[in-house]
Amino acid sequence: MSVSREDILAKLVGLLQRFNTNNIDLTETTDISTDLNIDSVAVMDFVMEVEDEYDIDIPLNVLSETHTISDLIGVVEGQLK
Amino acid sequence: MFYCPDRVCEHVITEQKPAEFRYPGRGNKLTIMQVIQGNEQLRRTPRKTPGLNQILGNFKTITEALDYAAWGDTGFNFYSPRGALQTVMPYSQLRKKARETGRKLMNTGLERGQRVSVVAETGPEFMIVFFGCQYAGLVPCPLPYSMHIGGREAYVNRVAGMMQAADASAVVTTADIESHIREAAEIAGISNVMTHEELQSVAPDGDLKRFEADEVAYIQYSSGSTSAPKGVLISQKAITSNARAILEHGLEITSEDRAFSWLPLYHDMGLVGFCLAPMMGQTTVDYMATPAFARRPALWLKLMSDNKSTVCFAPSFGFDLASRRINGSAAEIDLSSWRIAGIGGDMVRPDVLEEFTSRLAVAGFDPKAFLPSYGMAETTLAISFARLDSEIKIDVVDKARMKLSQCAVPASDKDITLHPEKVRKFVACGKVLPGHEMIVRNDKGEVLGEREIGKVFIKGPSLMSCYYLNDEATSEVFGADGFMDTGDMGYMLDGQIVLTGRAKDMILHNGRNIWPQDIEWAVEQIEGLRSGDVAAFGVEDENGEEHVTVLVQCRSREPQVLENLRHEVSQVVHRSSGVECDVVLVPTRSLPFTSSGKLSRAGAKSRYLSGEIAEIAVAPAAVEVQVPQMAAVG
Repeated sequence: MSVSREDILAKLVGLLQRFNTNNIDLTETTDISTDLNIDSVAVMDFVMEVEDEYDIDIPLNVLSETHTISDLIGVVEGQLK
Repeated sequence: MFYCPDRVCEHVITEQKPAEFRYPGRGNKLTIMQVIQGNEQLRRTPRKTPGLNQILGNFKTITEALDYAAWGDTGFNFYSPRGALQTVMPYSQLRKKARETGRKLMNTGLERGQRVSVVAETGPEFMIVFFGCQYAGLVPCPLPYSMHIGGREAYVNRVAGMMQAADASAVVTTADIESHIREAAEIAGISNVMTHEELQSVAPDGDLKRFEADEVAYIQYSSGSTSAPKGVLISQKAITSNARAILEHGLEITSEDRAFSWLPLYHDMGLVGFCLAPMMGQTTVDYMATPAFARRPALWLKLMSDNKSTVCFAPSFGFDLASRRINGSAAEIDLSSWRIAGIGGDMVRPDVLEEFTSRLAVAGFDPKAFLPSYGMAETTLAISFARLDSEIKIDVVDKARMKLSQCAVPASDKDITLHPEKVRKFVACGKVLPGHEMIVRNDKGEVLGEREIGKVFIKGPSLMSCYYLNDEATSEVFGADGFMDTGDMGYMLDGQIVLTGRAKDMILHNGRNIWPQDIEWAVEQIEGLRSGDVAAFGVEDENGEEHVTVLVQCRSREPQVLENLRHEVSQVVHRSSGVECDVVLVPTRSLPFTSSGKLSRAGAKSRYLSGEIAEIAVAPAAVEVQVPQMAAVG
């Protein structure tokens, strides 16, 4: 079963919503670590939800180079392949 | 020296492909059941070795201890991020591989006494290199294996600084972050960079000349500023003294103990407390990696239940995270074997421990297991432990009198029950370890009495040799009398130390030390800001939890400019330190400076809390238009 980019975007935006305390528009260009003002423990919490949702593992080195929601969609797609 | 046969336990499989030490990708992903079935030959190391006498740290060097531990069947076990047993490394195997790897390291052109930086991921590869260095007479310097989302650049700069501070001659890394580490090594000017696989492909032809009792052991990075890290040089004498004190006096380890840890191995509590000290007591340790804990805190307790673990340490925030995540699973686990739940690495928070106890009572957790402790990298690890098998001692003091008189006066019963906001709760962290001295002094250097708050000083065999290649920092903390300034504030109570805070400006957030200098430096790089425009500090809430507050002097009063700046500051702080912060934009010239021209963080903080420094008043749009007109008229 293939998952479309739009599906992943919608899912990630949904999972991120509870960290979106400033209520900004979440788009592909939103920087997860800086635009949302969420701390490192909460980020790991979110990453775990993404991993569990897609049954993937996102390595730390990949995470360190992930900034935007679009980057993360790419990571999810890469891990699903 | 002990003769030790390099025997292989037939039931143990350690010859796995290195890739399996790391997070499995989608391709080789298995469910927990499949992993367990796939590795059904894999058995954990036992709690003890029948017939082998337990020696609690009474060794002169790390290698002497490992030679002895290798006689037995105990050792290290590593669990995957999803809780499957992944690798088993008995001390006998560790010794064999460490000796072989030491020869390989010496065959890469290294000379005895040189420093080797090694990425300290939680796995057998790091340990093999660490102990290999001990046999070869090389000084291992464990590097952090931690990154936050989007944090590559900050990580690279941080480890480059660490390599430089140790004047390292070689770097060993895991393959997954090889590109990060190569970039850092290039900044540090180090060309000998190897992955574990590359190192293992070197012929084991170098000569081994192990460290002797009067030599150095390793370099541990202190929780110092990431922009100028300090390497704490630990001697064989310091590590063996501290490990013995921990095993014998602090924890009273027996052959029935089995340790568990998710602490990072680049941190003193992880490296000394849950790798070196247990090995020196021939105790088995079960590990889960720190990032795995951060993602699945409840798995920690599940694995402890499965292993009937007896000893485990964590900072307060770890207990907090796990108790909030365990939810309904608490009833399904059994923590009744857990006799020491040590707390260290941050201020002990009674409220968090109470919550943990109430949520985990159903699992048989005994609150008497809680063991407050005190220590730091500069004292190898431990300085004091509270009494075993007893309730935590909480001292309730009068907040106002404490501030006024620098004395911890017990609060009145009336205030405790009716005015909780007027009292402050502190936890006693025990008596100093045997063979060591601990005193509290005031600013004039006078030794203070019971309940008088001052700076904590330590003396004894566990102290570091120095900050490596940093005489200035070393002389700042060591006095002529041999006492070391810990930088912490506290008071003595019935011979126990009670910590109240820090003399230094460090911010403690979720068990991590954050240096305000690092935040200020990063923010000052924003265009339009200058050096001295920024002050960062921690503001405690009523639970003692610190929130990062950043004051930024701002020249504009335009709402849009202010909003953009606020956003940018918060981004920069996040990228450099991985924390959320309160950004307060303040008028120019509001931050106080000392007579020598240094920013006074304490001054800025107290003026901010008193309201003397406050958020800049935003100019209403209409006024903005008028200002230039008036100026033109004037």
